[in-house]
Amino acid sequence: MNPGEQGGRRLGSRPPLPGRLGFWGRTRVVLGSMWHRAAGRYSLIVLALWVLVSLVSRFWTPVSIWSTDGYQIWQTPSRGHLLGTDGTGADILSWLMAGSATNLVMSLLAVLLSAILGLGLVMAMVSPHAGISQTVVVLVDALISLPTVLLALILAVPLGPSMAVVIVACGFGYGLNLARIVRPQALLVAGSDYVQSARHSGVGAFRIFFTHLVPNIIPVLCVQLSMSAGTSVLAESGLTYLGVGVPSGLPSWGHSLTTSVKFINVFPLTVLWPGLVVTMVVVALNLFGDALRDAIDPVTNPELRAAVAGAGRAVPRSKGMDGPADSAGSAHSISRCGLTAHAECADRPGPADGDDQANGDNRSVRMDADHPGQGGRSCL
Amino acid sequence: MTMARFLLRRLALFILALVAVSVLVFAALRILPGDVASVMAGLNAPPERVTALRQRLGLDRSYPRQYLDWANGLMHGDLGRSLLTDRPVAAQVGERAQVTFPLILCGLAIALVLGIPLGCASALARSPRMQAFSHMAAIVGGAVPALWSGLLFIMLFSKGAGLIGLLPSQGFPVQGWDQPGQALQSLLLPALSTGIIVGAGIMRYTRSLLGDMLSSGYVDMGMACGMTRTQAALRIGLRVASPQLVSVVGLTMAEMITGVMVSENLFALPGLGSMLIADVGNRDLLAVQSELLLLAAFFLLLGLLVDIVHRLIDPRLRDGTRREVAA
Amino acid sequence: MRPDEPGVHAPGSATEAGRGHDRPGPRAGADDRPGPSTDPTLNEAYRPMSSRGNSLPWKLLSLTLALALVVSLWTGHRGGQTDRTQGGLAGSISIGLKLPPGNLDIRNQSGTALDQLLIGNVYEGLVARDSDNKVIPGLAKDWEVSADGLEYTFHLNRGMRFSNGHPLDAADVVWSLRELMDRHYQGSEMLRNYRSIDQVGATTVRLRLTRPYQHLLWELSGRAGLVFDHRASYDMKTQAQGSGPYLVETFRPNDSVILKADPHYWGPRKAKTGTIRIRYLADDNAAVNALRSGDVQVLAPITANLAGPFRSDPSFHVQAGDDTDKFVLAMNGKGGATSDIRVRQAIRYAIDHKQLIASRGGADKALGGPIPPLDPGYEDLTGLFPHDPGRARRLLAQAGYGPGRPLRLRLTYANTYGAELGDQLRSQLKAVGIDLDIRMVEFSVWLQDVHANKDYDLSLVDHGESHDFYQWATPTYYYNYDSAKVRQLYDQAMDTVSRERSRDLLAKAARQVSEDAAADWLFNYRITTAWHQGLEGFPVNLNQSLLPLADLTYRKA
Repeated sequence: MNPGEQGGRRLGSRPPLPGRLGFWGRTRVVLGSMWHRAAGRYSLIVLALWVLVSLVSRFWTPVSIWSTDGYQIWQTPSRGHLLGTDGTGADILSWLMAGSATNLVMSLLAVLLSAILGLGLVMAMVSPHAGISQTVVVLVDALISLPTVLLALILAVPLGPSMAVVIVACGFGYGLNLARIVRPQALLVAGSDYVQSARHSGVGAFRIFFTHLVPNIIPVLCVQLSMSAGTSVLAESGLTYLGVGVPSGLPSWGHSLTTSVKFINVFPLTVLWPGLVVTMVVVALNLFGDALRDAIDPVTNPELRAAVAGAGRAVPRSKGMDGPADSAGSAHSISRCGLTAHAECADRPGPADGDDQANGDNRSVRMDADHPGQGGRSCL
Repeated sequence: MTMARFLLRRLALFILALVAVSVLVFAALRILPGDVASVMAGLNAPPERVTALRQRLGLDRSYPRQYLDWANGLMHGDLGRSLLTDRPVAAQVGERAQVTFPLILCGLAIALVLGIPLGCASALARSPRMQAFSHMAAIVGGAVPALWSGLLFIMLFSKGAGLIGLLPSQGFPVQGWDQPGQALQSLLLPALSTGIIVGAGIMRYTRSLLGDMLSSGYVDMGMACGMTRTQAALRIGLRVASPQLVSVVGLTMAEMITGVMVSENLFALPGLGSMLIADVGNRDLLAVQSELLLLAAFFLLLGLLVDIVHRLIDPRLRDGTRREVAA
Repeated sequence: MRPDEPGVHAPGSATEAGRGHDRPGPRAGADDRPGPSTDPTLNEAYRPMSSRGNSLPWKLLSLTLALALVVSLWTGHRGGQTDRTQGGLAGSISIGLKLPPGNLDIRNQSGTALDQLLIGNVYEGLVARDSDNKVIPGLAKDWEVSADGLEYTFHLNRGMRFSNGHPLDAADVVWSLRELMDRHYQGSEMLRNYRSIDQVGATTVRLRLTRPYQHLLWELSGRAGLVFDHRASYDMKTQAQGSGPYLVETFRPNDSVILKADPHYWGPRKAKTGTIRIRYLADDNAAVNALRSGDVQVLAPITANLAGPFRSDPSFHVQAGDDTDKFVLAMNGKGGATSDIRVRQAIRYAIDHKQLIASRGGADKALGGPIPPLDPGYEDLTGLFPHDPGRARRLLAQAGYGPGRPLRLRLTYANTYGAELGDQLRSQLKAVGIDLDIRMVEFSVWLQDVHANKDYDLSLVDHGESHDFYQWATPTYYYNYDSAKVRQLYDQAMDTVSRERSRDLLAKAARQVSEDAAADWLFNYRITTAWHQGLEGFPVNLNQSLLPLADLTYRKA
C-alpha cells in the first residue's frame, strides 16, 4: 500500500473511455489480472469463499446452529463436528459459517456508510465556497481523533449491543478517515482544467463530482474501503468482546471468539478457529484493496491497457508501467508530467517568495501531509 | 490561513465539538431504561425505597435541569460525583488513568520501536523476496484481533499459564506505581499485544512513506551529495516524513484505545475501559457522562495537539501559509 | 531518480530548514576540500556521515525500554517474595472473588457482594449464622423468645468495642434497628411484624413483634441485624467502621479491597492473618490465571468447567460448596401464553436439567422447587416434572399450539449469566416446538422491564437469597404468581412458633408452587472453590453471601 502513490504518481488516472470495453469485459480483465498475482489470487479466493459461505449458511449449515448438547461440550474436532463444539455443545464450524453472513452484511453496510459519508465530506471539501470547504476540513480534523470504541460506547448505551452500533461507529470513523485521505487528490482534480472548464460551461456540482472527481479517486477509494471493511471485521470482534457489539444469539466471528476466550486454558483449540478466520479475511481484504487498485488502473495494469486497446480504441501501447504516453489517448486524463502542471495551475499564485520550485515542492508535500494514511484506523 | 487564524478556528471547533458531544452523551444516557436507584435498591426493594433513593440522588429533577447542573459544574471544573461510589469522578478517572495511559504509552513505544525500524528496513530492502516477506508480515500483523494476540501472549509468556512463565498475565499491583517494577511488568504483556498490531500499521505506513521518499528528489539529492541510499533515506527521507509520522502516531494513539480496552479486560487491569463498562452497567449516569466527555475531550485535544505540532515541526508550513485550492 | 521532473527539486531546503539555519555545521575544511557537489550551496549543507544525529533518539529509546524491561523483571521477581511470614504462616493472603461491590454502603446498596465482604468481617450482627445456614450467637451471646413468639430478649456480650475505640452496647443496637426501620434501609422489609425495640439494661435489648415471625432470628443474622456505631460519622460509601475482626484499609470500587486485622478486636475469634487482599476478577480466564500463578491463593467461584486441570493437580484443592442460589426460569403468570398452566408445565417437561448441569461442569444440583436444600422446607421435588418432551408436546397441543400455530416466547435475562444457558434453553424448547426469542440485556434494563414493569414471557435470574420463599406469596412480585393457598400456607408457616411445623408448611407450599409450574428451577448453583494446598479456613458453603475470614490461614508448602 502506498499512499504516496495514491497521492502523487497515479493521480488522475481516469481510465480511457470505459464504455468501449463494457462493464463486464472490464471486470473480467481486472479480475483476470488480479488473479495473476499471488496476493490478488489469495484475496479473491478468500473473499469469494466468504460470500459463498455466507449465502450457503442462510440455507444450510452442517449442524443447525441452534442444536446444543450439554453432554458434548468442548469436543475436539471429530467427524460429526469438524472443528469441534463450543460450551453449549453447538457445532463451531456451523457457528462460524453463520457468523460469516453477519460479518459480511456488517462490513458491507459499514463500508457503504463510510463511503457515503466520506464522499459527502469530500464534496464539501472541494466546494468552491471557501467557507464551506475550510469549515469541513477543520471539522474533520477535529472529529477524526474520536476513537471508534468511544462512539460505540455512547451509541450502545441507548441502543444496547446491536449490529447498528458497530455499523454506525465504524462507518462514521472510517468515513472521516476516507475524507481526509482522499481530499488532497480530490483537490488536485477539482483544480484541473477540465473541471474548471466544465464548471464554467455551467455543469452542476453533483455532475462534476460524479463524472470527473469520483473516477479519479477510485484507486484510493478501493484501497481505503477494502481496508475499512477489514478493520470493521476486527472492530466487530473487539466491540463484541467488550459487550457493545453484536448481541448474543446472533452468530458472528466476534461472538465465537468471545465465547471461546474464557476457556482458552482448558480448550485452547476452540479459540484458534474464529481468530484464524478473522485474520485470514482481514488479510484478504487488505490485499484485495491493493490488488484492485493496481488492476483497475490502466496506468499500472498493462493487461487492462491492452484489453482497452484491443477493444478498438487507438491507445498507444507502452511497455513501461507508467510511461507518459499511457494516457495520451484520453483528453481527460492527466499525465504524470501534466499533473504537476495542473497542480501548479490549481495553485493560487503564492506569496511572492520568488522561488517557484520551492513553491511547487511545498505543495506536493502538503498534499501528502494531509492524509494520515492507513496507520490511523488499523489498530483494533 | 495564518497560524493564529488556524488556531482560533481550530479551538472554536474543539469547544463546539465538546458541547455537541456533551449533549449527545447526555441525551444518549437518558434514553435508556433503568436507573441507578433501582440497581442500588436491588431485587427485593419495595417501591418506596426506590423513590426515596431517587430523590436523594437528585434523579427526580427534569432533564434540562440536570443537564444545566452538570454543565454548570463542568464550567467550574467539577465533574460531579459518582452516584454509586460517592467519589468525585475526577478522582475515579485519575486513578484508573494511571493504568490506561501508561498502557497506551507502552503500547505506542513498542509499536514505534517495532514499526519504524522495520518499516525502514522493509522500504530499503532490495531483494524482492525480503520486500514481499516484510510486506506480508506487516499485513498479517495488522490483521490479528487484539483479543487473539493477547491470548497468544498469555499462552506463551504468562506466569502460571504460559509456556515460558515470565510475566504476570493479569492484574495490577494494588499499590500501583509505588511498585514501579511490578506495575510495569503487569503492563508489558497487554502493551505487547496491542503494540504489535499497531506496530504493524506503523510499519506499513513508514514503509510507504519512505518508499515515496526514495523516489523523491530529497533522497536523490542526498545521494548526489555523497550519501549512500540508506543514509539518504534515513537521514533526509525520514526527517522529511516526520511531520506525517507525527500525525499518524497521534491518530494511532486515539485508535489504540479499543485494543487497550480489550486488553484491559483480558488482563484484568483496573483501567478506564473496565470502569466505563461497569458504570454503564450500573447506570451510574453522572459518572458515565463525565467519563465519556472527559475521554472525548482528551482525544479531541490530542487531535488538536497533533495538528499544531505538525505545523510547528514542519518547516515548510512554518511560514504560516496554507494553500487551498479554491478556484 | 527523477531528475527530469520539474518542481520537485528544492535543493537542500528541507534538510537545511530542518536543522535550522543558524546552527553551525561541521564546517572544518569545507573550503579547502572539494565537496561532493559542484554547487557551493549544496556543499555547505553537506555534513559527513559520521555524526548520526538522527538515530540517537532511537538508540536512547530502545536502551531505556530494554533497561525498563530488565529492571521490571528483576524487581518483579523480588517483589513476589517479600511476603512476611510468621511461624510459617503467611502474613498476607490474596483471595479472588467475582462480583465486585460498587460502594460499601451496606444500608442502601443491594447485592450479595457487600454481604460477602462486610458481614462477619467488618460489621457484626446481633446474631450470626454458620456454614449450614443455622443461626448462632453474634453480638448477642444468647436470647430468649417468649412463648407467644412476640418478644425476643437479647443478652449482649460484655466489653465489646468498635474498631474506632467506641464501646458497643445496647444503645447502639437499638439505634441501628430503629434507623433501619425508620429509613427503610436494606433488610428492613425482611423484619416482618416489627413493632419496637428497646433497651432494657446496659447489655440487654428487647425486640417486640406484632405477630410471630418464624424467620426473625435468621433475618437478624443478615443485614437487618447489623449494628453500627451511633457516635461515629464517616462516609458509608467509601468506608466501613464496624466491630468485626477486620478493618477496611483500602477500597477500590469494582477492583479490590484490602482488609487489615483489627489488633484490638473484642471477640475471641481474632483474625489469624494480618492482611487479606481481595481481588475482584470479572474475567474467568484472568481469574484462573491468577490462581495458577499464585497471585491469589484461593478463587471462589471458579467456573466448574475450568476447574478440571486444578482437580488433577496435587498442589490445588477443588471443592464445590452448598449454596442457596436458585436459577429461576420465571414464567410470567399473566403473560400472553404463559398464563396457561399447560404451557408452563410443558416448558418444565421440555427442559433437560441433567444436561444443563452436565454442560456446566456437573457441580450443580437439580432442584425441582423454590426451596434449596440449605433452607427450611426443602423437599426433593425433582420427580414432579421429569424430562419428557413427548408429554410437553401433548400439553402444548392441548393448549392449542402445534405445527400450524407455533408458540413463540421471549426470554429476557441479564447478560451476566452468559449466552450459554439461553442457547441451550432455546435448543431444548425448540425440540418440543417452542421458538425462544432470546433478549439479553443489562441487569439495570432487566430490573426495569422485567422486575418493575413485568413485561416479559420468560426470565432467568439467579435468586441467591436464602429464606426467600415470600416471593411466591407476594402477588405483586414480578412472577405474577398468585395462589391463595400458597399465601395461606406461607402465613401459617411464619406465624407458628414451632420450627418443625413451619418447615412442614413451607414444604407443602413449595410443592404447590412447583406443581403450578409457576417457574422452572433450572438448578441449585453450587459454588466451586479452588485453593492452593496450605490454605485453611476458607468457607466453602454459602461463600458468595457469607464469607467470614477470621480463621483463614496460609502455610506455604
